Amino acid sequence: MAVRYKNGLEFAVERWLAWRARRIMDPVARLRFLQQAAANSGRRRRAGKRSVLLAFLLTALILIPMPRITEATSLLLSETPPLVAVAAPESVIPSQVWLVEKPETFEVFSNGLRIEVDHPRRTELRRFLPVDRTRLEHADTDHYLDVAVRTEPVGIVFHTTESHLPPFEASQNNALKRAGRGVLAYVQRNRSYHYLIDRFGRVYRVVEESDTANHAGASIWADSQWVYLNLNDSFLAVAFEAQTQPEGPAAAINQAQLHAATVLTEMLRAKYRIPAYNCVTHAQVSVNPDNFRVGAHTDWAAGFPFEQMGLPDNYSLPLPNMTLFGFSFDSVFINHSGSRLWKGLILAQQRVREGAREQSMDESRYRASLRTRYREVMKALRQRRTSS
Amino acid sequence: MTTQKTEGSRFGLDVGTSRIVLAEPGEPDFRYRSQLNSFVRIPYSRMTEIALQKESVPFSAGGGELIVHGNESEQLADLLGREPRRPMRSGVLNPEEPESEAQLRGIFQGLLGNEPAPGAKICFSVPAPALGSAGNHTYHEVTVKQLLTAMGYEVVSIGEGLAVVYAELEDTNYTGIGISCGGGLCNVCLAYLSVPVVSFSIAKAGDYIDASTAQATGELATRIRIGKESEFHFNGHFPDRVQQVLSVYYEDMIQALVDGLKQALTSAKSAPRLGRSVPIVLSGGSVLPKGFRERFASVLKTADLPLPVSEVRQAGQPLFATAKGALRAAMSE
Repeated sequence: MAVRYKNGLEFAVERWLAWRARRIMDPVARLRFLQQAAANSGRRRRAGKRSVLLAFLLTALILIPMPRITEATSLLLSETPPLVAVAAPESVIPSQVWLVEKPETFEVFSNGLRIEVDHPRRTELRRFLPVDRTRLEHADTDHYLDVAVRTEPVGIVFHTTESHLPPFEASQNNALKRAGRGVLAYVQRNRSYHYLIDRFGRVYRVVEESDTANHAGASIWADSQWVYLNLNDSFLAVAFEAQTQPEGPAAAINQAQLHAATVLTEMLRAKYRIPAYNCVTHAQVSVNPDNFRVGAHTDWAAGFPFEQMGLPDNYSLPLPNMTLFGFSFDSVFINHSGSRLWKGLILAQQRVREGAREQSMDESRYRASLRTRYREVMKALRQRRTSS
Repeated sequence: MTTQKTEGSRFGLDVGTSRIVLAEPGEPDFRYRSQLNSFVRIPYSRMTEIALQKESVPFSAGGGELIVHGNESEQLADLLGREPRRPMRSGVLNPEEPESEAQLRGIFQGLLGNEPAPGAKICFSVPAPALGSAGNHTYHEVTVKQLLTAMGYEVVSIGEGLAVVYAELEDTNYTGIGISCGGGLCNVCLAYLSVPVVSFSIAKAGDYIDASTAQATGELATRIRIGKESEFHFNGHFPDRVQQVLSVYYEDMIQALVDGLKQALTSAKSAPRLGRSVPIVLSGGSVLPKGFRERFASVLKTADLPLPVSEVRQAGQPLFATAKGALRAAMSE
């Protein structure tokens, strides 16, 4: 049997199978599961409808709840459910977080958050135009930018610094502090994020919240009403001094960082009324317009602790950069991303297929039309920015 | 000793040129028993027959001779200054041995007993086609299958290299390269998520090393083999000529194996693009010398394989890995 990956979807299916297999502790049951999967895959390939069926298979796998697989075979053989877009449930916006005190060098909030405020950098004041999603989707090109300029952030992008990390041990204390200071100085110099959370869970304000930061230049996200392009302008950036880990038992951040991120997110969401589905990772929003691929950056492509931070699993949201603007993913991105994010990728791909069917176009033409839409929107935004 | 018979029992059988190993489920891990795949004929004497019975040595009598097969045949042959006879050669039934099937059946019966419980299933190992050869091992496979079917088992087969993957690579979802360096052949299989992608064998293995060393030193191959498994090591210092010659042929085998791996992966029509590195696991009697794994890894480093290798490891129990993988295959059916 040839193992060749014709496209990202097929690759994703196999990675997904591998991930599920790893959750089967008994070696024989795991082997049985994989053999069945291979047999099913072979049958489907022979049937000549590989891509669609693989997508169905994967969707089936995604939608079957599976805290632990014990009888994996039956899962694969089960009826494929209809495709359903998995919408992450909205978590309630926290409302009761207030500033308790504000001495010169730090701020303390009512939920226990403490922010180190050491001369946060100034850049440009935030001013951006969101795109009216409904009008965009209905090709109302004359009016999708007929909206008021916004100045408050509408979401949060989570990053990792991908910097050098000494072992988190008492004997490494000096090295840990040195590394933390180095990263802080670097991100301050480059105005990289609004907040940095170091290895000890200390939260530093790097750039003022009212200003833009250089954290996600080519990037796209959307909620039910609005589409946001270039999230430097519209989203806050929170970075962890950490490296994204491949999916597995090891967490990329420690408990102190997790706690700090939770209370910081709570404060920011309460302050700006940020909906949970606008709390996303850099890997989800980052794009490369030159080749129309998603995932130009892969920080937090796997393992972001949405649930532990009181957020829904936003990895399962279909990526708007694919559904609205025809970006696609490749095996490189799949390799770097975790299986939870694959849900979003696959569902987005399905949305694109559905969109193509509705428009009676083949998929590649439909995708090309979405890409044209992206170029037009970017051009319109640039013109509006210049004229203003 | 025969195996316990329970309904629906599962067994794994490594049918190797040198050894036949049986694996069966047990607590906490699998249980293994093995017999050398060889026999020796000695003239019949009542006293010898009684001695063999007393020592529980498997044998049969007939035609004025005693036929001793399995583990004791090698020692006995060594004592008598002759080579034991081998039912198999180069991984398959020995075409020059008229008694190959009968002797193989005798060894199977010694390991499995005469009658299995209803529904008993056995999975046995078969060699992969030789690298670059269009030939196959159908006759061997069918014959072994018939022998086991006639004993009352439901029978399936598995490639030897794949069995090693099943035995040792559950931590990578049965993805990686399994290598079994046995007596007659080195069997190699690259598997992805339990599916064999590339399989092949090379004829340079333990017997090649023994025979070549015997030829160069004038020793008996059997004696070389016994000494090789107990004394030889790859530490660069060889106290005698036999070990020095052994090292030359071991190097030759390792080089052939690595060259074969590169050739197979490079030329395979189904050249895999796995997008990540895979482990290699070494098993079989010929990987037992100390330092083998390290030597293999260092030769591999220079080979520039088209597939990145994450690590080279040795099977936990190199002599039993194929049987263990075959048992897992039988249990997963």
